[in-house]
Amino acid sequence: MLEIRDLRTGYGPIEVVHGIDLDVREGECVALIGANGAGKSSTLKTVCGLLPARSGQIRFDGQDITNRKGHAIVQAGITMCPEGRQVFPGMTVMQNLRLGAYARKGADLDWMLDMFPILRERANQAAGTLSGGEQEMLAIARALMSQPRLCIFDEPSLGLAPKIVAEVAQTIASIKAMGMTILLVEQNSLMALRLADRAYLFEAGEIVLEGTGAELQTHPEVVKAYLGH
Amino acid sequence: MTEILQQIINGIAIGGVYVLIALGLTIVFGILGIAHFAHGSVSMFGGYLTFFLVVQQGLPLVLAIAIALVTGMVLGVLIELLAYRPLRNANHINAFIVALGLTMMVEGANLQFFGAEQIVIPTNASRVFDIGGLTLPELRLYVILGAAVLIAAMTIFVEETKTGQAIRAVAENRDAAILMGINVQMIPLVVFAISTALGVAAGVMVGSLFAIAPGVGEGLVVKGFAVLILGGLGSIPGAVVGGIVLGVTEALAAGFISSAYKDVIAFIVMIAVLLLRPQGLMGRA
Ligand SMILES: Nc1ncnc2c1ncn2[C@@H]1O[C@H](COP(=O)(O)OP(=O)(O)OP(=O)(O)O)[C@@H](O)[C@H]1O
Ligand SMILES: [Mg+2]
Repeated sequence: MLEIRDLRTGYGPIEVVHGIDLDVREGECVALIGANGAGKSSTLKTVCGLLPARSGQIRFDGQDITNRKGHAIVQAGITMCPEGRQVFPGMTVMQNLRLGAYARKGADLDWMLDMFPILRERANQAAGTLSGGEQEMLAIARALMSQPRLCIFDEPSLGLAPKIVAEVAQTIASIKAMGMTILLVEQNSLMALRLADRAYLFEAGEIVLEGTGAELQTHPEVVKAYLGH
Repeated sequence: MTEILQQIINGIAIGGVYVLIALGLTIVFGILGIAHFAHGSVSMFGGYLTFFLVVQQGLPLVLAIAIALVTGMVLGVLIELLAYRPLRNANHINAFIVALGLTMMVEGANLQFFGAEQIVIPTNASRVFDIGGLTLPELRLYVILGAAVLIAAMTIFVEETKTGQAIRAVAENRDAAILMGINVQMIPLVVFAISTALGVAAGVMVGSLFAIAPGVGEGLVVKGFAVLILGGLGSIPGAVVGGIVLGVTEALAAGFISSAYKDVIAFIVMIAVLLLRPQGLMGRA
C-alpha cells in the first residue's frame, strides 16, 4: 500500500534520512523503532507532505505521492496522529474532531464518541485543558475522523504515565483489529514490537534491521540497545 | 449621568469602527504573524472609492458600498499574493519592512487618485432620535448597527463554518491543520479578503461619520493595534471588547477632559497595558 524507495530528506543543508526503503502492506501494522534523532519523525513528515523529499519516491496504492501538498495526501487516504499530539488547544473537543473530518463530506461524530467515551464527557471543553492522556485519545480520534486507509502514529505514548500507555496500546490494537493499516513510530520499543506485524530499526537516518515484530523482539541487537534486558 | 450615557453612546459608535479595523488586523496577525500596517490606508481607500462612486459617478450609496467591499476583497487577495506570500519563510523583519512600504504605497495611491482634500461621504441619514433625553443621530445608529451585524457575521463565520474553523486551526497550529487536509495556501487569501472587506466597511463609516484625509488611515491602524494589545493578539473577542473600551474611553476623555487629549488616550491605554500585561503582546510569537 505504502512503498518508500531510496528516500532522502532533511532540514536546510543537513540531510537526516539517507535513502531508506520501507513498505507497509494493506492491513498490516508496521513499527519503526530507533533512538532519538534517528530520523523517524522526519520520514513520517515527508510521507505526509510536511517536509519535502530530497530524492527518492513515495508511492501510495501505486500512485506517486512524493512531494504532493499535505492536504492532497490526506485526501488520498493517509492521516497522521503527530508527535506531541498537537491538538488545537483553544478549540473544543468537538471542534477538533470535526476538523479531523475536514477533508470529508459528512462527519460521524457519534461513532467516535462511542469509541472514546471520555471525549463525550469533555465534548465542549477546550482541548488545551485536557490531560496528556485525554489529548492523545483526542489526537487519535481526530486522525480517525478522516476515515483514512493508512493511519500513522508518531510516538503516541510520549510523556504518558504507564497506565495510560497501556490504554493507548490497547486503543491502537483495537484500531488494528478494525482492519486499519498502521504505521507506528514508538520510543517504547516493546509496545511497538508487540503491536507490529513487521518492524524496522532506524539508526542515524538509515534502516539497519527489518523483520517481524516477534523476530525483532528477540534479536540480540534490539534486545541490548532498545529493550534493555 | 445623562452626559455620561451620551458620551458612552458616542463612544460605542467610534468603538465599532475600531473593532472592525482591529478584527481585520487580528485575523491577519493570527494566521500569518504579520503586523499589517497598510490595513488603515487600504481601509481608507475603500472610503475614498465609495465617495468617488457616489459623488462623481452618481451611484446610490448602497451600490457604491457594495462595489467598494468587493474591490477591497480583490485588493486584499492581491496584497497577500504579491506582497506577503513571497516572504512566508523569510525573516519577520522583511515582512515588517514590506508592511511599512505598502503603507506608503497605498497612502501615495490614495493621494494620487483622490487628492489631498478632506472628503465626507454624503448620506441622507440626517434625522436625530431622542431616547429619554439622549440624542442619537441616525447615522451613528447605522454605524453601530452595521458594526454589530459585521461582528456577528464574522463570529458566526469563524465558529460555525468549515472554512472559519479551518482559519482558526491554521492560526493555532499550521502543521496540524495540514494534517487535517486543510489547504493552507488558500487560507491566507480568504483571511485577507475578509480582513480588507471589514476594513473597507470601517473606512466607509469613518468617511460618513467624520471625514477622510491623508494620514487618517495611518492614525486608525495605530488605534487598531492599540486595540489588539488591549484585547490580546489574535483574539476575536479581545478585539471586540478592546475596540469598544477604547472608543468609550476616548469619548469620555473628550467629553470630560478635553478633546485635545482624546487621541493621547489610545497611547496611554496601550502603554498601560504593555506595562501591566506584557504577555498580551508576546502571547503568540
Ligand atoms: N525542524 C527541524 N529543523 C532542523 N533539524 C531538525 C528538525 N527536526 C528534526 N531535526 C533533526 O533531524 C534529525 C532527525 O530528527 P527526527 O525528529 O526525525 O528524529 P526521531 O527519530 O523522530 O527522534 P525522536 O525519537 O526524538 O522523535 C535530528 O538530528 C534532529 O535534530
Ligand atoms: Mg520523532
